[in-house]
Amino acid sequence: MLDFMDHVQNAFYGASHWNVDNSYGNLTATARALLDFQTPRGLRLHVSSLAAPNFATSYTIGSVGVVDGSVSYLYSSLPLLRSFKSAQLDLRHVINGYRHLGHLRKPDESRWWELWHNGKRVDCRDTLLYGRIFLPQSTLEALYLRRLSPTRQLRISAVSDSSLNNGGTILALLQNDVGKYSTEYMYSTDSALLGVRGLYNFGPDPRLGPTTPVTAREVTEAVQGRFSAGAELYYGMLNKSGGISTGLRFTTLPNHASFPYTMTLTLNPLMGNLSSTYSVKAGQNLALCSRFDFNFYSYESDLQVGCELWRRRSLTDVVWAVKKLRPDWERPAVATDDDVSGILKARLDQEWRIGLLWEGRIKDLLFTLGASLDLKKREQIFRAVGVELQYSS
Amino acid sequence: MAFNFNWSPLIADTSRARDMLTTALNKSPKPPIIVDDIIVTELNLGTTPPELEILEIGDLAEDRFRGIFKMSYTGDAYLTLKTKVQANPLNTYLSTKPDFASPQPLAAASGLTIPLQITLSDIRLSGFVILVFSKQKGLTLVFRNDPLESLKVSSTFDSIPFVRDYLQKEIEGQLRVLFMEDLPAIIHRLSLRMWSEEYQELETEKRLDSANDTTAPIDPLSTPPQDAIDAFGNPLDEAQIAALSLDPTEVHASFSQKNILRLATLSESQRTLSLFTPGIREAVFRAWANNSERADSGATTPALTVGSLSRIQSTFGSIKSNANSVVSGSSGNETQGTRPSLASNYSAPAGLSLGANRSRAGPVRKRKKRVVNLRKDGGESSGVSTECTNTPLHSTNVSDTASVIPEEREREERECEDMAFPQPPRTPSRAGLRFEGKHGSLDVGEPSRLSVSEREGERSMPAPEGLLPAAPLLPEAPKAGKTKHPQQQKTNTNPKLEPVAEEKPSRRSRPPLSSNRLRTAQQTTSPLLRSLSFDKVSSLSGLSSTSKLPVSPHSSEDGSASQSETTGGILEQAWMLKMAQEIARKVQEEKDRGDGSPTRRPKPRRASKSADGGGGRRLWAGDEELEAPPAYVA
Repeated sequence: MLDFMDHVQNAFYGASHWNVDNSYGNLTATARALLDFQTPRGLRLHVSSLAAPNFATSYTIGSVGVVDGSVSYLYSSLPLLRSFKSAQLDLRHVINGYRHLGHLRKPDESRWWELWHNGKRVDCRDTLLYGRIFLPQSTLEALYLRRLSPTRQLRISAVSDSSLNNGGTILALLQNDVGKYSTEYMYSTDSALLGVRGLYNFGPDPRLGPTTPVTAREVTEAVQGRFSAGAELYYGMLNKSGGISTGLRFTTLPNHASFPYTMTLTLNPLMGNLSSTYSVKAGQNLALCSRFDFNFYSYESDLQVGCELWRRRSLTDVVWAVKKLRPDWERPAVATDDDVSGILKARLDQEWRIGLLWEGRIKDLLFTLGASLDLKKREQIFRAVGVELQYSS
Repeated sequence: MAFNFNWSPLIADTSRARDMLTTALNKSPKPPIIVDDIIVTELNLGTTPPELEILEIGDLAEDRFRGIFKMSYTGDAYLTLKTKVQANPLNTYLSTKPDFASPQPLAAASGLTIPLQITLSDIRLSGFVILVFSKQKGLTLVFRNDPLESLKVSSTFDSIPFVRDYLQKEIEGQLRVLFMEDLPAIIHRLSLRMWSEEYQELETEKRLDSANDTTAPIDPLSTPPQDAIDAFGNPLDEAQIAALSLDPTEVHASFSQKNILRLATLSESQRTLSLFTPGIREAVFRAWANNSERADSGATTPALTVGSLSRIQSTFGSIKSNANSVVSGSSGNETQGTRPSLASNYSAPAGLSLGANRSRAGPVRKRKKRVVNLRKDGGESSGVSTECTNTPLHSTNVSDTASVIPEEREREERECEDMAFPQPPRTPSRAGLRFEGKHGSLDVGEPSRLSVSEREGERSMPAPEGLLPAAPLLPEAPKAGKTKHPQQQKTNTNPKLEPVAEEKPSRRSRPPLSSNRLRTAQQTTSPLLRSLSFDKVSSLSGLSSTSKLPVSPHSSEDGSASQSETTGGILEQAWMLKMAQEIARKVQEEKDRGDGSPTRRPKPRRASKSADGGGGRRLWAGDEELEAPPAYVA
C-alpha cells in the first residue's frame, strides 16, 4: 500500500498531467508491483492529514524492536482535490497492482499554462516540496519537484544521513516527456553518477493530430496495444564504473478486446542478465504475474510468480433487490470500492520464499498485514511479520 | 644469546590456522562486493622463515619475555581464498545508498555473482614487532607499524585491469587490518591453545618442568628443588623430576590452601555458636562432632568456655583414639572406646573428613553387629533381644520412606537402644531451645552419625601416634574406654560430676522392657509416621537430653556417652545391671516431674511423637540424636 505522501505525490502528478508510466524507469512497474512488494515488519502506524489542499502532514511511528518514527510535511503549489481521507479514498490509488496503461496523451501546450494579468504573466510553475525526518536516526529526506514546462519536470531528491559518505547524497533528475518518447537525465553527487534514460513508444505520435480522415478500417481495427523500447546508461565518474540496460515492453491498451496483459523483456548486456515478465489481468479481481531471470554469463536463473486478488463482499442478499431496481438507479455508495473486503498479494520464488500481503480497509483505517516466509529454513519459517495501519483525514 | 627458529613444523599443519583465518576474515563486516563467505582454501607458510633482528629485550625470565624485533619477510608463502563477488559495480554501489535518492535503474543494476579465487603471494613484510610472552597469558604479538610492504594478488579477473586493481587495493586494505588487528588475536589464541595442550601433556606424563613453576606459588607444600629443574628446559633426570613432583602434587590434591582455610573456618565456627559453615567440595561433614564427643568427658556448665573444653577434649580424645581406634577395628563390641577418638578428629579435621566419608558404609554394619553382640552378651531380658531383632525391621521400614538409608538405620538402632533404657527426667526449656536452633541451622532432616563415621575415618587413617600404642592396648581397650569416661567427667566437670555419674548407670540399665516392646511395636507399625517425624524426634530428643544438664549446650554429649557406654564392653554389663534398678526408679521420678514441664511441646509433631514414645523414651532418643548430629554434604 502506498504511503500517504506517495499518494499525494501521485495526485500531484495527476493534477499536473504528468504521465509517470511513460518512463523507462517504470517499464516493469506492473511486475514490480506484483512481485517485489514490500512486506511490513513489526508494527507501524501512520497518521496523516491533508490539512489544506496544498499542505499535508504525516506522522509515522513504528516498532521493530526499537521504536522509531518519522515526521513529514508536504507542500504543493497545485491544489490537490483528490480525497485523501482513509475512509473515502479510492483503494486503487493506494494499491499498487496491475497497471493499466492508457492511450498516450498529447502534452499540454505551453501557452495553456500561461496566466496573464494586466499584461504581465503571473503564472508560476507547479512545485512540490516535501521533507521527512526519521527521528532516532536523524535522517532527513527532502524532495523538490517542479514542473518546468508541460513536457519537462525537475526532481531533486536529497538524503542527509551521517552514516553516508559525505553526510548525504543528492540526486537531480530532469525528465522530458513528449508522449511519443521520454528522456531522463540524472546526476547523483554520490560518486558523480551520470545517467541517461530513454523510452520510445512505437505507434502513432500523440502530438500529431489526425490530419487525414479516419478510414473505416482504422476505426474497426484500432490500435489495441503499444510497443515500447528503452535503454538506460549510467556512468560513475569517480569510480569509473557504469551500467547499461535495454528493455522492451508490450502492453495492451484499454480498448483491447480480450483480457489485458503486459510483457516486458529487459537485458543487461554487460552483466548478461536477461529478465522477462508476463503479467495478465485475468479478471476484474485477479492479476497474475511471472518473471524469469537468466544470466547467460553465470547461468543463474530465477523464477518468480505472483498474484493479486481483490476480494469483494458478495451482495447475494441484495442481488434480488438490485435486479428489481431500474438500471439507471445509482446506489449511494460512500466509496467506489466499498465492497472490497481486502486485497491479497502473494509471491513465490524458486527458493520457496513466500511473501504475503493482505491489505484493505476497516472502517476508517487502512491496514496492511504482511509476512514473508522461507520454507527452506525449517527452523525459522517466518522471516518477517508486520502490521501497518494508516489513518488519514 | 641465540634463537633457534624451527620453521618446518609450522609448515606441516596449517589447517587450524586456516580455520582461524577463515573465521577472522568473515568476522568483520565485508564490503558489499563480497556476497559470500570468504574461505581460506590454501595456506602455505613457505620454506623461507622471516628474518628477525632483536632490537630490544625489555623483560626476560624463565616464564616471560618481552622484546622488540625488526622483522622482514621475503618468503614464498602464499594464501588462496575463495569467495563470491558481485561483479556489477552499480549493484554494489546502490546497495549502500538510500532508496530515496537513488537513481533506481531498471536493469542496469542487476547482479552477477562470480566465484572468485584469489591467491596472495610474494608477500613482503617489514616492520617492528613487539613480542610479549608469558606462560600464563600466552603469546602476544603486535605490529608497531603497518608491516605490509607489497603483495601480489592474482585472481580470476586478472585479465580485467579495473577489477584487478580494485581487488589489489581492497585486499591490501583488508590485509593491513588483518596484520594490525586480527593476526595478534589469532596468534594469541593459538599460543594459548598450544600452551594448554602442553600443560596437559606435562601433567599426564609427569615430566612437567614449567608447570611446576606455575603451580609452585599456589602450592606452598610443593618442594622447592623444582626451581632448578625449570629454566629453559634443560634436560634433567626425568625420573628424578617425576619423583620430586609426585609428592607435592599429591599434597596439593589433598591440601589446597583454600580447603585448609575452609577447614580452619569450619573448625573455628564449631568452637563458637556461629552458624556459619563454609562450603567444602566433595566433603561430608557433621556439625556436632566435637560437642557430642565432649559429652564423654562430661557435660559442662555453660560458664565453662568452649575452647577450654575442646582442648581438654582433644587431649583425652587423642589418647583414647589411639587405643580405641585399633580396638574397634578388631572387635565390633568396642564402640565405646572408639567414640572419644572424635576429639582427635577435631584437631585434624581436614584429612580425616575424607576418610570418614569413605568408610561410612562400613561402620554402620559393624555397629549393628556390635549392638547385637552387646545385648546378647549382656544377657538382658527378652526385651533387649527383641530390640536387636527389631532393628533390621526398622531399617527396612525406614528405607522405604526415608531417603538416607544408612543413617536412618543408624538412628533406628540408636532409638532401639534408647528405648531399651529407662529415661532420665524431662528437659529444661532453655537448653532445649538452643539445641533446636542449632539443629535448624543445620540439616535437621538427616540425623547423622558423625561419631561413627569419624571413628571409622580414624580407623581407616589412624592417627600417627595411635598406630604404635594401639596394638598393645588391644586387650585392655574395653576397660580403658570405660574407665576413662568417668575420669574425664570428673576432671572436666567438677560441678556436674554427680549428675553425669547418675546418668551413666541409668543408661546402662534397661529396666522398662515392657515399654520398650511397646515402642518398638509402634515403630514397626507406623514407619511412615516415624520417618516423617524423625527430625522432630531428634530435636525433641535434643530437648530431652538436656534434662540432666539444663543449661549446657553440650548436654547432648551425655547422650553419646551413654550410648557408647550402653553399647560398651562386656565387662561393663554387670555395672549396668546394677544401675538398672536405680534408673528405673529415676525414670519414674522423671515422668512424674517432666510431664508437666512447659517445654514439652515446642512443636505439635514433637508432642505427637512424644505421645508415641512416651516421655522417657523421648528423652533418651534425644540423647542419641544429639550424639549423632545432623549430617549434610557441603
